[in-house]
Amino acid sequence: MKKIDKLILISVVLISLFGLLMIYSSSSVWAEYKFNDPYKFLKTQGIFVIIGYFIIYIISKINYQIYFKYSNIILLGCIILLILVLIPGIGSVRNGSRSWFGIGSFGIQPSEFAKIGIIIFTAKYLTNNKMKDIKHSVFPILSVVFLIFGLIMLQPDFGTGIIIVVTIIVLLFVSGVKMNFFIKLGILGLIGIVALIIIAPYRLKRIVSFVNPWADPLGSGFQIIQSLYAIGPSGLLGAGLGNSVQKHFYLPEPQTDFIFSIISEELGFMGVLIVTTLFITIIYRGIKISIYQKDNFAKYLSFGLIFSLAFQTILNLMVVVGLIPVTGVTLPFLSYGGSSLLVSMINIGIILNISKQ
Amino acid sequence: MFNKKIHKRIKITLLVIIFCFILIIGKVFYIQVIDYDKLNNLANNLWSRNLIIGANRGRIITSDNVTVASNLTTVSLVVIPNQIKNKDDVVKDLANILNVDEKVISEHVNKRSSVEIIHPEGRQLSFDVADKINELNYEGVYLLKEGKRYYPYNTLLSHSIGYVGIDNQGLSGLELTYDKYLTGVSGAIKYFSDAKGNKLEKSSIYEEPTNGMDLYLTINYDIQAAVERELNNVMDKYNANGAWAIVMNPNNGEILALSSKPDFDPSNYKNYSTEVINRNHAVWATYEPGSTFKIITLAASIEENTVDLINDTFHDSGSVNVDGARIKCWKSGGHGSQTYLQVVQNSCNPGFVSLGNKLGKEKLFKYINLFGFGEKTGIDLNGEGNGILFNLDKVGPVELATTAFGQGISVTAIQQITAVSAAINGGTLYKPYIVKRIVEPNTGEIIEETKPHIVRKVISNETSRTVRSTLETVVAYGTGRNAYIEGYRVGGKTGTAQKVQNGIYLTGNYIVSFIGFLPADNPQAVVYVAIDNPKGITQYGGTVSAPIAKNIMIDVIASLNIKKSEYTLDKEEFWYDIKYTEVPNVIGLTIKEAKSQLKKLTINYSGTGNIIKSISPEPGTIVKENSTIKILLSN
Repeated sequence: MKKIDKLILISVVLISLFGLLMIYSSSSVWAEYKFNDPYKFLKTQGIFVIIGYFIIYIISKINYQIYFKYSNIILLGCIILLILVLIPGIGSVRNGSRSWFGIGSFGIQPSEFAKIGIIIFTAKYLTNNKMKDIKHSVFPILSVVFLIFGLIMLQPDFGTGIIIVVTIIVLLFVSGVKMNFFIKLGILGLIGIVALIIIAPYRLKRIVSFVNPWADPLGSGFQIIQSLYAIGPSGLLGAGLGNSVQKHFYLPEPQTDFIFSIISEELGFMGVLIVTTLFITIIYRGIKISIYQKDNFAKYLSFGLIFSLAFQTILNLMVVVGLIPVTGVTLPFLSYGGSSLLVSMINIGIILNISKQ
Repeated sequence: MFNKKIHKRIKITLLVIIFCFILIIGKVFYIQVIDYDKLNNLANNLWSRNLIIGANRGRIITSDNVTVASNLTTVSLVVIPNQIKNKDDVVKDLANILNVDEKVISEHVNKRSSVEIIHPEGRQLSFDVADKINELNYEGVYLLKEGKRYYPYNTLLSHSIGYVGIDNQGLSGLELTYDKYLTGVSGAIKYFSDAKGNKLEKSSIYEEPTNGMDLYLTINYDIQAAVERELNNVMDKYNANGAWAIVMNPNNGEILALSSKPDFDPSNYKNYSTEVINRNHAVWATYEPGSTFKIITLAASIEENTVDLINDTFHDSGSVNVDGARIKCWKSGGHGSQTYLQVVQNSCNPGFVSLGNKLGKEKLFKYINLFGFGEKTGIDLNGEGNGILFNLDKVGPVELATTAFGQGISVTAIQQITAVSAAINGGTLYKPYIVKRIVEPNTGEIIEETKPHIVRKVISNETSRTVRSTLETVVAYGTGRNAYIEGYRVGGKTGTAQKVQNGIYLTGNYIVSFIGFLPADNPQAVVYVAIDNPKGITQYGGTVSAPIAKNIMIDVIASLNIKKSEYTLDKEEFWYDIKYTEVPNVIGLTIKEAKSQLKKLTINYSGTGNIIKSISPEPGTIVKENSTIKILLSN
């Protein structure tokens, strides 16, 4: 038995501690104003980080083969939770989406956990089926994926939904499904996007707003403009830790999706480089682990998990720097939010366990 | 084999992921470097709140360095609602000090705005009020420096200067026309604020205001003050409807003084009717010029050589019949037989009808147009009038006759003085102007300078000299005698014009005017005075306006330091039988050669020799027969 991948572990510990620091820096003004307690968000997230470290420790001890065995039950559990959360009274609404099981200020998002459930399920499916015949091998798994996507979109939580769909499609790609299929899928996707725009033209406005956010500075362009105001003037070293101006009520909820802009504002280009380097280290090591695996389930599982993490990171950063429209995806390990952090930690725990094999 | 394909595709995915990260880092770099200026500006504008510090408006200064529009430093009250902790106290105290209703202050203090100016109650406060507010030392209550326009000489030059509104914005006159130069750039205290308006602990930035540019005028303060004084007197004395006057340097078009009554105090412009404020009669009013216009007919006749002033004679029977219309002379019974020089001195209307006929309508109207009538002079004051001329196609004998002596046409005062300046300055028509230069007050750098602008050459030097000399005799011997100044050579012409209302001449209601200049041999200033409907006096230009013009000219002499002339015409009370001659140009001739030309004159020789070196007065001057002239001889 090999040892766990220490580089990933160290990077994750570093990045989550750095996340705590930045959550405090970006949220203290807002927390003091709203809750009269500048440490409010720091405390909550601090508890989650500690729980997260325990989870990494425990999960990394659990042999990943157990997921192979219980993959169906895990997925079923996820689907039940996704249905339950839609029922008013059980699921609570935050930020316009019914995607939470609320326990005080602690909120659990089942869609985050469904991410892991579907990856486990797909990894097993790909291990057991030869993906030669598209009709009989690809379509069944895709229908499961779209069932889950559909449930998530009912909340709605577009960000998590798209991460799940893209992760599974990339898993299919890696597993050797013919290129032809992806080309057709791409064309289909394009037609779908065009259809969506024709049905609801306001979506086009949202898409255009990321190209020129100043076209609608108080509406769809607002967040991205505020983000650019944070990143733009920061320079090489930034305004200094704690010196962000944008966190003073200009950028709404700076500790969540747009925490990267505050990092950039306070720590400048160097901060950006450090954060991205940590992420690339984790992703690179994760993929290397996947390649080293002899067992196909371990290979698919570790790849799926690390890819979903990578894709979520890219999605968040591209929104923050204005490369794509706002999708509402958190930045793993850095954004404030319990479910997001715990799921990322579980993710890493599983990968670390696999790394030992 | 199978794994190889998987690994290949995993590696492709890794490459795509790394590419995405590079894209993100690249975009951050782009935002921070390429978009830096734009975003930094926008972000700073978003973060900073400005407490505006008003710039001083540029001063308006006369050519002799008298400031006629300057600034007083005052303060204005500004509140930042979000920074005020105890709003009720602030409202109560401020309302108390400013002596206004608490509601008014409360509205400002509770407004959801970042910076709130207490307008107008808190504007341009005196220092003792400001001190009281300062002593309260409330957070979020600020006193900011603000300049207030100050006109130290009240109504002086008011029509030209105009006035400003409470925000120091030019609303009329030069204040409006040159607003973009006079207005400075406001400075500010910039402090950083959060999105809710609270001050952040980032240091404030002080941006110094840039004062506006100073406007230097062609106006001479002393002459302007004299004009104002004389016009005020005449308004009081004769209860006139209006009075206006212009003094111009005929050699470049500079306006030395310009005034129109009734006028206003620009500091309190709200107390005056818009009619009074807007009507700068000196450039706006159009009216029949009357006899002052005869100068144009005279100049055209001399230039076209259609008359010999000294030798041609005209018999005035008291009226002349033109195409069935009887045109009377102002003197009942007429002037009898006279030379054309006397026609000018007597301002004889039938005589000018005959001059007009000699010229013909084409030539007369050609000169009227050349002298600039019928179009704006282009002076840099707003509200200038055009005037109205007969359409040449519709000019019949009657129109030609009346135009020749200044009736049936409509002109402005500025057109007349500009045209007469051309007639006497050697024949060059200048564009009149009042702003000489625009100067940056700190560096003294000249931003813009007005150079004299020649519109065209209208008549020859010789013609102009004869016009000057003829008009000099009008003052010495003719209708302009009330403008005669001992020791100085003054030329001029009176004018009395009936006012027209709704196409009908009003009876007993005249605009009486006088246009004069000095010294007649080398004019330095032209003075035009017009009085609208003076009461309790014979309404003649010679009786009302000429004395006023004389008083103004006396001040002009002092201000411009004009020397007494060696040679002057003696004033004569009875001029009807005077015989005239012109000083011949005999310079360079020997005494013997010149003898025949000099026989109508008494000669006072000086120097030694045989050749005539110079003559005083200069050749071309019209003098009485047997006058004494000085001839300097040399070898």
